[in-house]
Amino acid sequence: MVKVFKFGAVFICLSIATDTMAQESDRFALSGFARVIGGVLDTSDASFEGYDNSIRFSEKSLFALQGDYRLTDTWSASAQLLLHSDSNRDSGIEWAYLTYKPTDNLKLLVGKLRTPYLKYSDVIDVGFAYPWLSAPQQLYGSYLFFSNFEGAIARYQLSIDEVYIDVEGYYGGFNTDFENSGETFNLSVDALYGGVVEVNYGGWQLRAATLSTEEVDADVEGIHQLVAGLNQAGFSDIADFFALDGSADTFIMGVSYDSLDWFFSAERMKVTSDIAVLAGIDNYYATIGTYHNDFQFLVTFAHSKQTLNLLENAIPIGINPQLDALSFGVDELYRSLPSDDLDSVTFTTRWNYSTDIAFKAEVTLLDGKSGKSSYFEIENSAFNRKATLYQVGMEWVF
Amino acid sequence: MKALFFFLVISFVLWPVSKALAAKQIIVVTNMEKPPPMKKHEIRNLFMGGASNVFEPVVLKPGEEARHVFNTLVVGLTEARIQSYWAQMRFSGRHRAPVEVESTEQMLQYLLEHKGAVGYLPADVTIPEQLTVLFSSRQQG
Repeated sequence: MVKVFKFGAVFICLSIATDTMAQESDRFALSGFARVIGGVLDTSDASFEGYDNSIRFSEKSLFALQGDYRLTDTWSASAQLLLHSDSNRDSGIEWAYLTYKPTDNLKLLVGKLRTPYLKYSDVIDVGFAYPWLSAPQQLYGSYLFFSNFEGAIARYQLSIDEVYIDVEGYYGGFNTDFENSGETFNLSVDALYGGVVEVNYGGWQLRAATLSTEEVDADVEGIHQLVAGLNQAGFSDIADFFALDGSADTFIMGVSYDSLDWFFSAERMKVTSDIAVLAGIDNYYATIGTYHNDFQFLVTFAHSKQTLNLLENAIPIGINPQLDALSFGVDELYRSLPSDDLDSVTFTTRWNYSTDIAFKAEVTLLDGKSGKSSYFEIENSAFNRKATLYQVGMEWVF
Repeated sequence: MKALFFFLVISFVLWPVSKALAAKQIIVVTNMEKPPPMKKHEIRNLFMGGASNVFEPVVLKPGEEARHVFNTLVVGLTEARIQSYWAQMRFSGRHRAPVEVESTEQMLQYLLEHKGAVGYLPADVTIPEQLTVLFSSRQQG
């Protein structure tokens, strides 16, 4: 609660300050965004995305300031400061990069950047930019989302008659903490790279993206001891299975259409990996909506299915108590690996109150598969993985 | 299922009547003597952040009727969608929104003072001879 009050105080002070600061000079531009979101889950048996059966405003509310400074005609510097009320995220510098634009078609960004592999993954904090209050968890959820990296992005624009094509390539690495289904992991990636191709024709956009990560190393408390024990006992295959280091390849396809009356958007993401918790992910969403004057109404269906790599527990039992314990530990750990099979239907209303403020209300019907974590943090083992999440919020850009 | 039915009913009963602007027309002009010809899709691309080494787009502030007509007839998106698009472009470091002016008079002044600037005006505005019409919504193409 103290954190919420502090966040509120900072929010108000910065809001007042930006009234006088949000302006542009020839070289410097200051802008920003904020979101205040409240939500409640209709069950006490579990929590979802930090929401439980008491109304919370602290999970996704945030405030950000961005400064852009033009150094020369071809060089500029940008930084984004993000203040977040979510206890699972750190406030601080979210973006900090130099931009080099040698030609009108080509742009290079170098520094601390956000990964652009999903349509909205690099602006996931800028709720004003997308129609939902919460982007579909099945794709935009925090553990799938290698959000930041340190490296470079190259962007190139070209056109073929009426077809406009944006091409991006990126390369870097990162070291961060992330949370999934109540477990906190430290994750380091030595090499992260991928590409994005967006083909635009009229209101249509086809999008394909890849994200590859090599030399991923996840540090999870408890796993290291088990892995060391397995290696010591000569079960290196099982140790490798749980070692949480390796590589992952992600492929995304998307299509969207925008018109004056209605819009459609869909993305599908497949992940293959030799890392148990990242393996076998095949998730998608589809959104369709309409515009009615200042209102948007949309409905989203999202689906996730994860097929974990199979583990063959070759540890013999009944020989000695130590091996029995090890075998039991392996089975328990395998069962406890987060696996997220979840269908959801989300109804969203967006009211575009002004050109820089929007209000949203959202109801999400969650239908997870029994026996799977399904993105829930489960308090009661009898929980049937079905719940409804209600959210309201305000999005602001300046 | 009831909720889905309710959503569909609301969507179709309130299906927008956004064609009321069809009677209004705009022209797109530039401060160049012999500009390269531009088609509607090229103008749309320019005003949505597309690369150009020749032209600089200029827009009217939201709420101006000519902007509404331009968004409807050339861009083909609602004002709300355009605003969310520019939020995405700005905060992902891709593009910045075009220069914005307050009125038709300021648009004319800006265009006259900046070589290569491209802006839109109501079709009935008298154009100074330094400006060249690139596109008219009366003859879309």
